Amino acid sequence: MKTRVIILFFSVVVLSALLISACKKNEVVAENFGPYNPTYLSFNIPNGWPVPATNIFADNPLTEQGFQLGKKLFYDGRLSKDGNFPCASCHQQFAAFATYDHDFSHGFDNAFTTRNAPALFNLAWMDKLHWDGGINHIEVQPLAPITAPNEMAETIENVLNKLNADTAYPAMFYAAFGNGGITSQRLLKALAQFMGTIVSNNSKYDKVKRGEASFTYSEQNGYTVFKAKCETCHKEPLFTDNSFRNNGLAVNPYLNDYGRMRITNDKNDSLKFKVPSLRNVMLTFPYMHDGRIYSIGQVIDHYRSGIITTQPTLDPLLINRIAITNTEKNDLIYFLNTLTDQQMTADPRFSAN
Amino acid sequence: MKRIQIFFYGIAMFAFTACQKEFTNDQPTGTIKFTFTNTVKGIPVQLNTGIYTNNFGEQYNISKFKYYVSHPGLSNTSSTATNKDYYLIDENIASSKSISFDVPVGSYTAIKFLLGVDSARNVSGAQTGALDPLNDMFWTWNSGYIMAKMEGTSPQSTIINNKVEYHIGGFAGANSVLKNISIVVPVSSLNMIDIREGKISEVFIEADFDKWWQGSYDLKIADVPSVTMPGTLAKSISDNYANMFSITDVQNY
Repeated sequence: MKTRVIILFFSVVVLSALLISACKKNEVVAENFGPYNPTYLSFNIPNGWPVPATNIFADNPLTEQGFQLGKKLFYDGRLSKDGNFPCASCHQQFAAFATYDHDFSHGFDNAFTTRNAPALFNLAWMDKLHWDGGINHIEVQPLAPITAPNEMAETIENVLNKLNADTAYPAMFYAAFGNGGITSQRLLKALAQFMGTIVSNNSKYDKVKRGEASFTYSEQNGYTVFKAKCETCHKEPLFTDNSFRNNGLAVNPYLNDYGRMRITNDKNDSLKFKVPSLRNVMLTFPYMHDGRIYSIGQVIDHYRSGIITTQPTLDPLLINRIAITNTEKNDLIYFLNTLTDQQMTADPRFSAN
Repeated sequence: MKRIQIFFYGIAMFAFTACQKEFTNDQPTGTIKFTFTNTVKGIPVQLNTGIYTNNFGEQYNISKFKYYVSHPGLSNTSSTATNKDYYLIDENIASSKSISFDVPVGSYTAIKFLLGVDSARNVSGAQTGALDPLNDMFWTWNSGYIMAKMEGTSPQSTIINNKVEYHIGGFAGANSVLKNISIVVPVSSLNMIDIREGKISEVFIEADFDKWWQGSYDLKIADVPSVTMPGTLAKSISDNYANMFSITDVQNY
């Protein structure tokens, strides 16, 4: 009797497994990888921060395995044509994931990029990426640098071939996503899990807000100046309102970059670029979409006296430039220094293994 | 013992039903197959080697011709049956030119589909299958799908290597190129679309590339050899190509 039960049990199990596997086409048999048992993670919104307009993880459940896969990919040169340009070559952790001290970054075959590499943090709150907002979802962002001939210069097909030939990746993709192998969708979702969870919220400013530290006299004065003269565009707590604005820079004659107009085809968007976050601003020099301004003091001078006020699309807030005294400028710089988040820039969780 | 057996059979039943989730109600279904034939003025496209002339006297050949067909379905006066999937019809891939899906049994008088990829899917991150960026139908610098693509050459083209490139996309606002296509089975057809349980019906659809050149907008290679971004030009071309489809035959097997 017992034997019959066991035989029946096994025959049903085998039959069920066959039937269930019959539903799934073209899937890699995963017996070598063991059970699929990802560790789910939650994405925590810091106290007092807005809930992101779009939950970028809604169709991409965060897991430790997905995050670790994304991190490995982020630091892997094989995503580029010649192996020399991982994502991290232009997005350096010590520079808040911007390119330190470079107006333009270096790409394949001695090429330069045509815009300043943006810092990568708090991307979960950013619904449009790139200086012109041309990318509408964090998951499709990496397609641009991977395939751009002056950046990583590779095809997605080749990247997938390289990853499939690797000893570690097939198991890592399985651990993160289960059966189904290495696909562009999974590559992109893993990268989104890594990049999207980089949150910068542990600067001195944040600690002051949490009552864990206090501003110096100059920092406090600088904060007051900031609130009065900068905050409309560089809105707390993200220090950007994620809008696109023309801040009165002359057109660079080599680049002829008109910003958001290229995406919208709307002349009202001529010369508008994304307002960058001021978090970690001391690490992300040089500044502006083409890195034309080297120091933060010079940036403040631009707003005081450099704005070209004749451009038709100049932001209305800047028509009279911004009156900032020398004392205010100094205090403002003290305050901006409190936005550097060394906990994030040194966090081993975001570092190459 | 009996209870254990019932439990095991229960698992087996679950395993069986796990495969069937297309239609949750008990309506009987049959299969509809759309078979596309890409032509120029009724002559099937010969990639690369075929030389064609548009009504402006401009010569060209075609090296790539592909377009998205989304949410295809059938309709009659009282009902519509739509499939939720996305298909990329690629002249270079024979198997891509026939698409099949199941619909409830019934007699239908028209076919319908979205020519392009709906706007929601353009803003929802990384996709797979027909929508995989590997298919070379996704703009990396201005997120969104190329809904229809033609590439070739023409002596009338003034750009590099006499290229002709029309990458038509844009899903938002006034310049959206998305087109809801609905074609009634012509009265000349011997058959209506008669879906019977477990049987296959096939609709033969011609896509005439020649329609790209004319309609509400005169597309001349000499003037516009290339369109590779969303905008008014792409919109105008899409207004033309929305008229390229016709039903040539219906068969119920």
